[in-house]
Amino acid sequence: MSKLWHNNTLRALAFFSIMAFMLVLVGVNQSWSVAIAILNLCIISAIMSLGLNLQWGYAGLFNVGIMGFTALGGIAAVLVSYPPVKDAWQVGGLGILGSLVVLLATIAVCVTLYRKLQSSSYRWLVLSLIILVGYFLLRLVYEPAVKAIEATDPSRSGFLGGLGLPSLLSWLVGGLFAAGAAWFIGKIALGLKSDYLAIATLGIAEIVVSVLRNEDWLSRGVKNVTGVPRPVPYEVELQQSPRFIEWVSNWNSAKLAALDEVARNDALQKLVSDASSIAVKLSYTGLFTAVLLLILLLSVLALHSPWGRMVRAIRDNEVAASAMGKDVKGRHLQIFVLGSAVFGMAGAMLVTLDGQFTPGAYSPLRYTFLVWVMVMVGGSGNNLGAVLGGFVVWFLWVEAEPAGFWLMNTITSGLDDGNALRTHLINNAQYMRVIVMGLVLLLVMRFSPWGLLPEQNGQRR
Amino acid sequence: MTDFLNALVLLTNFVLLPAITYGSQLALGALGVTLLYAVLRFSNFAQGETMAMGTALAILCTTLLQSIGVSLGVLPTALLGMLPAIVIMWGVVLLTDRWVYRYYRTKRSKSIVFVMASVGVMFVMNGLVRFLLGAGDRNFEDGERFIISAADFKLMTGLEEGLALKTTQVITIVLAAILVIALFWFLQKTKTGKSMRAYSDNENLALLSGIDPHRVVRITWMISATLAVIAGVLYGLDKGYKPLSYFNLLLPIFAAVIVGGVGKPAGAILGGFVIAFTEGLLTYAYKAFLNYLVPPAWLPEGLIQFLSTEYKVAITFVILVIVLLVRPTGILRGKVI
Amino acid sequence: MKKLLLATLLASIFATSAQAADDTINIGIEFGFTGPIESLAPMMAASAELALKEVSDSKALLGGKTLKGIRADDTCVDAANATTAAERLVTSDKIVALIGASCSGAATAVANNVLIPKGIPMISSSATAPALTTLDDKGFVFRTAPSDARQGELLAEIVKNRGVDEVVITYTNNDYGKGLNESFGAAFKKLGGKIVASTAHTDGQPDYSADVAALKASGAKTLIVFGYADQGGKGIVQASLDSGAFDKFIFADGMIGEGLTKNFGTKINGAFGTMPGGETEGSKKWEAIAKENKIDPTGGPYRGESYDAAAILALAIQAAGKADPAAIQAKIKDVANAPGEKIYAGELAKALKLLSEGKDVDYVGATGVEFDDAGDVKGAYREVEVKEGKFETIKAY
Repeated sequence: MSKLWHNNTLRALAFFSIMAFMLVLVGVNQSWSVAIAILNLCIISAIMSLGLNLQWGYAGLFNVGIMGFTALGGIAAVLVSYPPVKDAWQVGGLGILGSLVVLLATIAVCVTLYRKLQSSSYRWLVLSLIILVGYFLLRLVYEPAVKAIEATDPSRSGFLGGLGLPSLLSWLVGGLFAAGAAWFIGKIALGLKSDYLAIATLGIAEIVVSVLRNEDWLSRGVKNVTGVPRPVPYEVELQQSPRFIEWVSNWNSAKLAALDEVARNDALQKLVSDASSIAVKLSYTGLFTAVLLLILLLSVLALHSPWGRMVRAIRDNEVAASAMGKDVKGRHLQIFVLGSAVFGMAGAMLVTLDGQFTPGAYSPLRYTFLVWVMVMVGGSGNNLGAVLGGFVVWFLWVEAEPAGFWLMNTITSGLDDGNALRTHLINNAQYMRVIVMGLVLLLVMRFSPWGLLPEQNGQRR
Repeated sequence: MTDFLNALVLLTNFVLLPAITYGSQLALGALGVTLLYAVLRFSNFAQGETMAMGTALAILCTTLLQSIGVSLGVLPTALLGMLPAIVIMWGVVLLTDRWVYRYYRTKRSKSIVFVMASVGVMFVMNGLVRFLLGAGDRNFEDGERFIISAADFKLMTGLEEGLALKTTQVITIVLAAILVIALFWFLQKTKTGKSMRAYSDNENLALLSGIDPHRVVRITWMISATLAVIAGVLYGLDKGYKPLSYFNLLLPIFAAVIVGGVGKPAGAILGGFVIAFTEGLLTYAYKAFLNYLVPPAWLPEGLIQFLSTEYKVAITFVILVIVLLVRPTGILRGKVI
Repeated sequence: MKKLLLATLLASIFATSAQAADDTINIGIEFGFTGPIESLAPMMAASAELALKEVSDSKALLGGKTLKGIRADDTCVDAANATTAAERLVTSDKIVALIGASCSGAATAVANNVLIPKGIPMISSSATAPALTTLDDKGFVFRTAPSDARQGELLAEIVKNRGVDEVVITYTNNDYGKGLNESFGAAFKKLGGKIVASTAHTDGQPDYSADVAALKASGAKTLIVFGYADQGGKGIVQASLDSGAFDKFIFADGMIGEGLTKNFGTKINGAFGTMPGGETEGSKKWEAIAKENKIDPTGGPYRGESYDAAAILALAIQAAGKADPAAIQAKIKDVANAPGEKIYAGELAKALKLLSEGKDVDYVGATGVEFDDAGDVKGAYREVEVKEGKFETIKAY
């Protein structure tokens, strides 16, 4: 038995069955709608956790800036799929484009001069001067444009909007946005010793989010962008579509036939409403699953390719790999960019699913540390483990709250209703969520240090 | 001359004094982190929550003291209430070490494992703190609020600008200075302090020379917890207690540690002040200040501010990133993590 | 430990299904119990539950049914969490209506993704973003907290009438603060006032002296604070007083409460502002019953609003004659709006009886609720001023 238990395939099968069973349990006992809603977010979590597994599990890169890449993906979803706000473009579009030109020109001049003046002692002086001039020039063009844009119907838009393209495309663009940022960050930060990368990414993520929170012309800032278009139909549309209603009534014909006319109409309405929300969620599930499977497939293929072996060799012994002529820095940059692109896609998918972009929502606890918990719990270095971790941890994250209430209610059921301790415990039950998360992380690290599904080959750390 | 004095008072009141106070609070927190790093070799993500928990306990003790009529007169009672809180927090961190970190220490796990464990501890403490005292805002300051209020200062000097000196500011600065001196004396002069430094420099050599590693680790935890509680209480006295803001404090504290040089106590202090001052100076609107120094007609419209205050959080990280790029070991050449 | 956790989880999943007793009607209470407004949410929930309890205790609802409030956490900002929690409330706890969600972002997400598609009415007691007015909500989204747009305009008038022409504004960096800042700014400029500068502050910051320093530099003598009394707004006032930067303040609803005067007392004498709740009679009655039940009625925002949201839902259930979401939604405006006998906080038993007799009621409650076509309250406001360290009502609008 214990030998079987150590067989990874069986173990994976067992854990995934338990996970599926838990979701079914939620479906039966709470409702299918909740179960599928949780499943959808589980899939997105699994995608994020795959991205981190690529970076941490394959290459040992300590990225604590996941939040920033997710947010970049999120804004991509808005910029691609949201319809353009014509009035805002009219008053400020030119100014924004102009300031972009100024910004790029300043950077270009700086880079050129930096190279040209390699040996000159005036190098820093000249550069600072140019940056200063560029800064004031930028503000000159930028500020009036922003003011004009933000004054255009501020309660509803007050930003430039997006391009109005299909939202599925935005997932790809989200990945590209994050990849671009990651390339830039990696270029600077990957030369540092590995743990500094952590702190640098932590900081950069904060900077990205604070820009999104404050640059209203781009993202509406904290006023949130709502009504981001969906790739799937709206529930209300379905509820009014005769074809859908017919389909639902056929599906439930036996149940409906037993009722009289009035009751039948009521019941049908209820069934249609339930079915529409499940149908919409299932379409999301389909799309998300496709993305998850694709990324999983690519990750597994990559892991078992010569490239994957090289990457793991670098991770396990950087010095030796480097001595054998492997380009350590280049591989690290590749992986950093790839992993971050995955975060970006997940971020865009999340915004599409929610139908809104909320810059205020990006907090390191939820978008960075929680993903780390997923990978640590699932098993770093093992793709299936990462997916499992995403599922398990997200499930616990949302179900810990009702579980907390229930636990507190049960523990204190001996006390009477007005009891101060009982009230205190029940009123604070929602904090169980973080406590559970912490305990799960600590327990898994202690008693199953390689995660639920350990890495199969390669050196265990 | 009066104009110059006015400008100076203005800057002191709005930038320098708050920055010194905030810098002291950051420095104490950063000292705790850096000491732990020096001895145990990991960045403790739970330090912010340790501060919050210590402060929450101190508030409970203070309320208890106040209810039996104890007070420190002009000084806040919390200075007394924080003593039992420190003792309780010793117990908390030592138990955490016993249950969580010791296992990895004996296994000689990589530092990243410790960091992840501390993230777990952070999650748990985060919830426990809110369980203990709720998530709400608490004001537990009593005693005299000002040493000199802005209005008094204007009366005294006849200047147009006021300079306010808060009791909590003075307590913070004085207490921080005392603690820092005591800590340095402890590290340099006492046998335990020396053994801690030896252990930090070269663990194997220290073990060979008969230093009890368990004792060193215990003492480090206790010192770091003491610093955390005091920093937390001072911060809470100055700005009010709110669990969420302690979590937010963690990031500038880390930045301070790295900017100053990881594992260097003096670096932590320096880093704290660098962060506090840069934040203050970069987001200060110089309009009123310059008004005193140059003819108003010369000044442009607007507040004359480098960056709007919304980007205050980002500034911390920009400094951090620049330091990492230009001088990765920090200003005082700390350890390479 | 692992087993205990697992067992708890399993048990809770099973347990939730067991509670569909016939004589209780479930109502969701979804507020941001964790996250940015975690300090406001508990008392808001307690206020809402107070109304539910009052109704249950009266034994007059649909022949003696009880209302049960089911709490859920919308985290204020995380749309994913908020929708999952709402989904659970709707489909698992079978709520017939929702009180919440708390922040405008979460409220929009919950409305768009769960409640509107499912056809379940919601009354938010704290989402104030003007954007919610124009949400295509099919008539299912209401709120007892007035949109910021109205308050900004009114406050601009009051400020101008008091002879203040030049102000500097600091607003909390979220949709509430920003929305209020925009509506006030537009109205104040139209009236000929000058806003020297307006800057945002972030809640939960370690330190506000830099913010205050920037505000002070503007040269204006009067500071308008659009923030929260127990968050950044308090920090701003504190730092202003400590450094002597400002002593004249103007506040909006989020800042007004005993929390502020308890902290600053007479130091902010002369500060004035607006808060929702025009009917002073209604708010007095609310204050009385709230205090009886250990809720500090003016200790924080949105408490009266939460009570009202719960009360209206209860009355709508009674008017509908059955606990059915669509039927309730149809009755919400009837019970909240004139004509009918005016109902104040603490008089829910009377209202239920009147409704069961087929009479019409006009729920006024703590905040003077009156819904318009968009499901917004028209926003009755009071002008208040700090006198001798206490907020006093000057005039109702």
